[in-house]
Amino acid sequence: MPKIVSVHSFRGGTGKSNTTANVATLLAVRGQRVGVVDADIASPGIHILFGLEEDKMGHSLNDYLWGKCDIQQTAHDVTANLGNDVKGRVFLVPSSIKAGEIARVLREGYDVGLLNDGFRDLIQTLELDVLMIDTHPGLNEETLLSIAISDVLLIILRPDQQDYQGTGVTVEVARKLSVPCMMLVVNKVPAAFPTDEVRARVEQAYHAEVAAVLPHSDEMMALASAGVFVTRYPDHPITAALKQVAERLSRSG
Amino acid sequence: MTSTGNILVVDDDLLNRLVLSTNLQEQGYDVAMAENGRQALEMLGSQPFDVVLLDLVMPELDGFQVLEQMKHDSAQREIPVIVISALDEMESILRCIEMGATDYLPKPFDAALLRARLNASLANKRLRDIELEYLEQVNRVMQAAAAVESGTFECDSLNPVAARGDALGQLARVFQNMARQVYAREQSLRQQVQELQIEIDEVKKARQVAEITETEYFRDLCARAQRLRQRNGK
Repeated sequence: MPKIVSVHSFRGGTGKSNTTANVATLLAVRGQRVGVVDADIASPGIHILFGLEEDKMGHSLNDYLWGKCDIQQTAHDVTANLGNDVKGRVFLVPSSIKAGEIARVLREGYDVGLLNDGFRDLIQTLELDVLMIDTHPGLNEETLLSIAISDVLLIILRPDQQDYQGTGVTVEVARKLSVPCMMLVVNKVPAAFPTDEVRARVEQAYHAEVAAVLPHSDEMMALASAGVFVTRYPDHPITAALKQVAERLSRSG
Repeated sequence: MTSTGNILVVDDDLLNRLVLSTNLQEQGYDVAMAENGRQALEMLGSQPFDVVLLDLVMPELDGFQVLEQMKHDSAQREIPVIVISALDEMESILRCIEMGATDYLPKPFDAALLRARLNASLANKRLRDIELEYLEQVNRVMQAAAAVESGTFECDSLNPVAARGDALGQLARVFQNMARQVYAREQSLRQQVQELQIEIDEVKKARQVAEITETEYFRDLCARAQRLRQRNGK
């Protein structure tokens, strides 16, 4: 059964897109067909991680939401950009990076119900095993919809008081939406923090499973958005932790 | 005159003691006298001496016994002992040197020879003191390393070693600096772990959740989500 995974964080800058891109890649390495939707329409960016050049972007999610094209036309196969170890496929649905189109979608909004139709069509036509939705930070309508239709909600947070509070809100809202499976990823954890201690405290605070604790990494910072980390650093501890997330997602539901 | 060393003269013969002590005092030494071996050991146990001039034949404890006991006492074994003896007691002199005596002084005393042998013994004693102090401070550094390993290290314990101007002093200073840095990092870690306290303002959270969930949109979304899941076959 295909599954929808929403990747969310209450605040920006938590590494949500990076986590999405890396986990999607690792799932594809495991042989799965993975769709990634950049639903962060206000501040898109995951296409850069997948090496999708702007002039080759063609149709975007915005075009679909405005009825200019089918959702399938917005999906770009980025598998070739992920190295030779990927046995499955990764399809990316980018959001428009044109300033005018971003301004328009923010000004006029769109029918969020179309998102669900689009997601369902993508899963069917591309024969996806997993559809990952890189959501906009915070809890606006389209994010709530994404969460509401998800089989798995992956919440990314940093060890930071503001994130703790915001994540508490997200977890509570997700429970009210009856999301079947909810997992947390604690990202950018200072190296001095004991990983097991962080995991235990976060799980205790939210009564939710922690899929991974990802330490702060200079290599990750240096790579920035220049590529998908797990393909550049296959033996790095962060890659190992992200594999746990991919493994956990594969087992969920 | 500034003292050039503390000398203990041990001899049961009063005249010998007086001659020796007068001579030594004239040369600038501080002199204490013991009239037998037992008294000598008591004095050695209660005050520091740089050299012992030791007669061999004495009542109560003789010179051999004093020497033997000194060599078994860690605080006294490094004190140079010059045996006072007649030249015809060469066998005894050799025995004493085998037992650890530094030198011997033949009777009757020769002032120049006494001065020369005392100076040599004192020079050796001072070198040995420096060596022992060095070894003691090396031991302190080793103890410090063990204390670091067991988590009981106190930085100030190395202050006497760190005050040295030589390589050992530099080693101790580097050691102290590293330990201080580690301590600072530990403090920082404790601070960070405290920051790991996850404190959620439940009242604020409830308000924020209510702002989202007590809306028409959310109620509609919940109903739609259920329908959508059913439609998606979940």
